[in-house]
Amino acid sequence: MARGSFSQRLDSVVEAILAGAREPVPPPDAEGAALARVAADLRGLPSEEFRHRLRDRLMASGAPGERRMSPVREGFHTVTLYLAVEGAEGLVDFVVRAFGATETLRTKGSLGGLHAEVRIGDSMVMIGGKEGMAQQNPSAIHLYVQDTDATYGRALEAGATSVDEPMERPYGERSAGVRDPFGNVWYIATYRGSHFVPEGLQTVNPYLHARGTEALIGFLKEALGGEEIDRAQSPDGVVVHAKVRIGDSVVEMGEAHGPYQPMPTAIFLYVEDVDALYRRAVRAGAVSSQAPSDQPYGRVAFLKDPFGTTWYIATPRKEAI
Amino acid sequence: MTDRDAGKESEERLAIEAAQKDPSRFAELYENHVDRVYAFVLRRVSNRAEAEDLTSDVFQKALANLGRFEWRGAPFAAWLFRIASNAIANHFAKNEKGLAAAPEDTPEPVVLREVEHRVGLYRLVGELPALQRRVIRLRFGEEKSIREIARALKKTEGAVKQLQLRALRNLRSRMDEEHG
Repeated sequence: MARGSFSQRLDSVVEAILAGAREPVPPPDAEGAALARVAADLRGLPSEEFRHRLRDRLMASGAPGERRMSPVREGFHTVTLYLAVEGAEGLVDFVVRAFGATETLRTKGSLGGLHAEVRIGDSMVMIGGKEGMAQQNPSAIHLYVQDTDATYGRALEAGATSVDEPMERPYGERSAGVRDPFGNVWYIATYRGSHFVPEGLQTVNPYLHARGTEALIGFLKEALGGEEIDRAQSPDGVVVHAKVRIGDSVVEMGEAHGPYQPMPTAIFLYVEDVDALYRRAVRAGAVSSQAPSDQPYGRVAFLKDPFGTTWYIATPRKEAI
Repeated sequence: MTDRDAGKESEERLAIEAAQKDPSRFAELYENHVDRVYAFVLRRVSNRAEAEDLTSDVFQKALANLGRFEWRGAPFAAWLFRIASNAIANHFAKNEKGLAAAPEDTPEPVVLREVEHRVGLYRLVGELPALQRRVIRLRFGEEKSIREIARALKKTEGAVKQLQLRALRNLRSRMDEEHG
């Protein structure tokens, strides 16, 4: 190894390994030799860009025709949670460590903070924010995993606090709850059916605790063309749990009570026609935060519904699809 | 077979059946095996571009033929390795290199151990702290120079080399923990 600090000397070995040297200059000590072996094994690390490109290509070919016509960005679904929090970098790190998320994009957001995108199972989640931001958007999330207990343990190790320990639920799931250090609440669940994700749901599903769930369901139908696909009601008519399908995704909801209070959830929604949906949502009671406009990544509008959820509706530019 | 292996096997079986019914479920199988197939293929070809082409080929064939896959107790990875062996053999035949023309029917245990060792290491990269993970992915996954990484992360070259050192130390100790 060349002279210089240990990190420099190690890097010259890494450089030789990457250049294809089969027998890189032997490091002078045991630690150097061991680290050089790790580096040699890393030489075949697949590129993240390649992994995602191939995944998207496979998914597009798995559903011929359908995806090409869709306004949804490749690899995304109609609904994508946007978790905007202070310390967004920490949240990215948390979801990677706790839930095995893969970071697919990291860039500067429109307000100058971080904009990151991560994949968790079959779903994408957007994460953004910067220090001192006026409005944060933590959310409640129903997350399906193969092994609730293991994921719950990893989430606690990664810094979350327990809301609910893992247990069997009467509705056919084993589930647990944690709150991450950034205020998001994750309901970690394993469905006890033929697959750990129930039919029609995705790995990541937004969960809205609403005051007036009945009215929220009405709004989602009228404003966003949602379809109510499931409802459980208490004898006195309170909607305990409901599912509304929007495009290829499902948003879950239930009446706020006890510790389950409304959260300022933000949802990114890919739609065919931003302008038409914007008008429809405003007619149904949404408040405009930003009228439709063309942005480098597509045409977008921002709305807030009467129940506190922010909706970013967007049609990506053709070449971005 | 341990209980854990049996659990994994039944999860995989369910994932395969789900993907056979609904191809959009193939994503899970892909995520679970892409590093494995890539590591398997990379032993036999000389560069990244060839390994990427062959890995693409293997998964496209697997997706197209998933309906024909029958669960007979052998892991799904073994089926993917068979497709990969054929793809590698075809690749060499096409390039008239005359090497490795016969596909490996059943890879040697030593090969499988080597592949699993690498898959374990790639998984640990995903668990590194954010900056160390980015340095390792850029340095080894994208083969960027220290200077390019320093520019991308707005760090000094010395800081990037330090991050690389810390990441390699972390990976080494995690590998040692896992392998006793």
